[in-house]
Amino acid sequence: MFDKEFEQIFDIAKKKNIQKFDVFLTQENSFSVKSFRQKVESFKYADSIGLGIRVVIGNSAGYAYTEKLDKQSLETTMVKAKENAEYIETDDIIEFENYPDIEKKLEIFHPEIEKVNVKEKIEKVKLMEKSAHNFDKKVVNVPYNSIGNDKMFTKIANSKGLQKEYVGNAAYGYAMCLAQGGKETKSGYFYKISDDFSKINSKEIGEESAKKALELLGAQEIKSGKYPVIFNNEMGADILSTFSNIFSAKAVQDGLSLLKGKLKSKIANDIVSISDDALLKNGFSTRPFDDEGYPSQTTEIISNGTLQSYLHNSITAKKDKTKSTGNAGRSYKSTVTISPSNFFIKNGTSSEKDLYKFYPKCVEIVSLSGLHSGCNSISGDFSIGAEGFYYENGERKYPVHNFTISGNFFQLLQNIIAIGNNLKFNMNSIGSPSILIKTMDISG
Amino acid sequence: MIKKMLLEKVLLKALSNGADFAEVFVEDTFESKIQLLDRKIKNSIEGNDFGAGIRVFYGTKAIYAFTNNLSEKSLLAAADAVSKADAGKNEILKIDLMSEKVISPHKIKIPFDEISKSEKIDFMRKIDNSARRYSELISQVNVNYLEKVQKVQIANSEGVFKSDERIYARIAAYSIASKNGEMQTGGDGPGAFKGYEFFKSINPQKLGEKVAEQAKKMLLADYAPSGKFPVIIGNGFGGVIFHEACGHSLETTGVAKGASVFADKMNKQIANKCVTAIDDGTVPNLWGSTTIDDEGNPTQRTILIKNGILKSFMIDKLGGKKIGMESTGSGRRQSYKFAPTSRMRNTYIAPGNDKFEDMIASIDFGIYAKKMGGGSVLPGTGDFNFAISEGYLIKNGKITKPVRGATLIGNGAKILHKISMVSTDLKYSEGMCGSVSGAVPACVGQPSIKVDEIIVGGRKEK
Repeated sequence: MFDKEFEQIFDIAKKKNIQKFDVFLTQENSFSVKSFRQKVESFKYADSIGLGIRVVIGNSAGYAYTEKLDKQSLETTMVKAKENAEYIETDDIIEFENYPDIEKKLEIFHPEIEKVNVKEKIEKVKLMEKSAHNFDKKVVNVPYNSIGNDKMFTKIANSKGLQKEYVGNAAYGYAMCLAQGGKETKSGYFYKISDDFSKINSKEIGEESAKKALELLGAQEIKSGKYPVIFNNEMGADILSTFSNIFSAKAVQDGLSLLKGKLKSKIANDIVSISDDALLKNGFSTRPFDDEGYPSQTTEIISNGTLQSYLHNSITAKKDKTKSTGNAGRSYKSTVTISPSNFFIKNGTSSEKDLYKFYPKCVEIVSLSGLHSGCNSISGDFSIGAEGFYYENGERKYPVHNFTISGNFFQLLQNIIAIGNNLKFNMNSIGSPSILIKTMDISG
Repeated sequence: MIKKMLLEKVLLKALSNGADFAEVFVEDTFESKIQLLDRKIKNSIEGNDFGAGIRVFYGTKAIYAFTNNLSEKSLLAAADAVSKADAGKNEILKIDLMSEKVISPHKIKIPFDEISKSEKIDFMRKIDNSARRYSELISQVNVNYLEKVQKVQIANSEGVFKSDERIYARIAAYSIASKNGEMQTGGDGPGAFKGYEFFKSINPQKLGEKVAEQAKKMLLADYAPSGKFPVIIGNGFGGVIFHEACGHSLETTGVAKGASVFADKMNKQIANKCVTAIDDGTVPNLWGSTTIDDEGNPTQRTILIKNGILKSFMIDKLGGKKIGMESTGSGRRQSYKFAPTSRMRNTYIAPGNDKFEDMIASIDFGIYAKKMGGGSVLPGTGDFNFAISEGYLIKNGKITKPVRGATLIGNGAKILHKISMVSTDLKYSEGMCGSVSGAVPACVGQPSIKVDEIIVGGRKEK
């Protein structure tokens, strides 16, 4: 697809004597439907294309993008990218290559998803809403819910002869409901992403979101102090997500990560291993190559507590005299950066039950608020609002709310004392099992 | 942009299955960003966003499609798709678009393209140099320049046909202070609905010093205490408390679904008597101001709360239809990729009569949150959480030492009653507000206010 446009770009480059460049194009097609009080509330269809050009002069890369794909716009974009390159000052070394393909065949496009008709999706979203409402009288509202699917086509070419493309798609469903008990309102959220619409079980999503809200009703305040804390798998993933940038080689090289100089040293407790796996079966970020066309791979980031690698693209890898880990990230509107693929804390050996009874008392966190504001990804400090459950001797006593947990992510990695075996990925394909932290500050 | 005749054709197609309303939003946006980091120009990127969004209503059901292929064929295909999502009884056979000239009160003096890129970069360097000169502890400075010109065309089946141009300028600077492996940041990001004259009005030395001072202070600060205390929330960006904890709950997006604590509180006391809050899109050249909203309605100055009593929500077309109220010109969207919904513009707590000194003097033990960080609120419950980026301890009626690492946590509806003093020093602060219709430029604002009691999450026992 888009062969004509790519040909035109190569012609323009030739005419303008631009020798070093690459082109990145994505086309996204998506559909989503929402329901409110058993009526379809909204429908959304999207069809969008964008194209970004990077021109390299010496060491400097300039960028420009366009959503108009006519010849004139492509030419303007090429010229602007070149102009921008003239202002860039960098000691980056950018070398394009015609990278080889991976050997493994990935199943990332699922034609069946595209065949499901709108009517079926409407039935699904209505059932999802109804299942949450019907689960309990206390469920008063399901204000946010959606069933949808996304298809993304990516095409990359560079002046070294690389030209590759792939297409991936996924179906998803989520519901957020409110449960009321007395004067108190609590919310519960549940989601599922899959390669198969039939695995998006509306009843399950609706009921799980209801359960999550209901469980939190009757919450009590908690006395300030130090407690052992369990982050359930979803919150483990969210906190890892918030701090994932510290593993970026770019952040390290720019002096924005405290992991600078820590390769091969212990940065976490022995039981902690973190992996970035772009080849993971059924991963939401599984892909044959990254946004520079570099072949996908599995990278051990932390093995048994020791930092093994940062996340690299080809530019940061050159600077560190190592190989890319296939983590170049880019949108047609952005420059090449670094982004994790399927990035996760590996499963441990404990069951959830083991975690609850590890200490005579502990607090399990099932909801966090203010993650983007209460966390400093540079210092690792965080102080965020939380909700969860209080446990004694492995037994859930009561829900707790209106408190903040605070600490430091680097200390948290050292203080992970036990890890569950219930790995779950969030919508950004960052995953974690439940993790038990030796001690954290709670203020209520 | 798109010709009137084609727009009429697209609207008719979108209505062809009996929809009640159809709208086309066309956008042609130019944006340029430059980043200075590590004393070097690291990024310079510019581009063109171009596309159209088509929306129809069947009752209160909204169907939205967007495409950036603006050929007649593709637009009609998108219109066909939205029309077929449902069926209605409405029969409209002809649409006459009435072209109306929009006169903007936001005058622009210097177009961005009159200034060379080198001059823009020089301006950025002055900020960088000034921050680094301020202290040896400053280890990194990041300066981001943004200019954006958004041209839009809005046409709907009621005959509305308007064009508008929105022009944005912003400079954001962050500095990092570090010592013994610890790092703290300071930042500021002023912006305006202005051309290049905005950058000429900013003193780069002062901006650099300001962000450096904040980072240095916080690096040397002790951890904040935790517990429940009175808190003075500083003017300007302190208004994020109102924006996050109350503002979002006053948008019809949440109100219409009953997912807002304020849904049934019209004309009721929802805040302390000293609180008046306004969402104002009319302030000339202010960052969050508009001329018309993204549905073609003229912008307004909307009084949300007067002396503690709820007076209005922020209302878009669809939200208004759902709750039976008129639009307040609040329909906004990030781009053609989003259906519009009710959003804030410049939202602030109006100045009161209290003196800042008296407010501090009234507190035995508490926190002065001079500068807030970002925040978030759980829709439906109003529970919020946001970080203090520059805080001080108050003891015996006096501001003592700087403290860091604190978070304020509470509930929007409850906190409004606990605001007991409002100062005279109203100030605005620019930001990007994110919600279902994307990120839009918005100002938060307030004078310094006193909250009698709020949970402070810190790292130390009181």
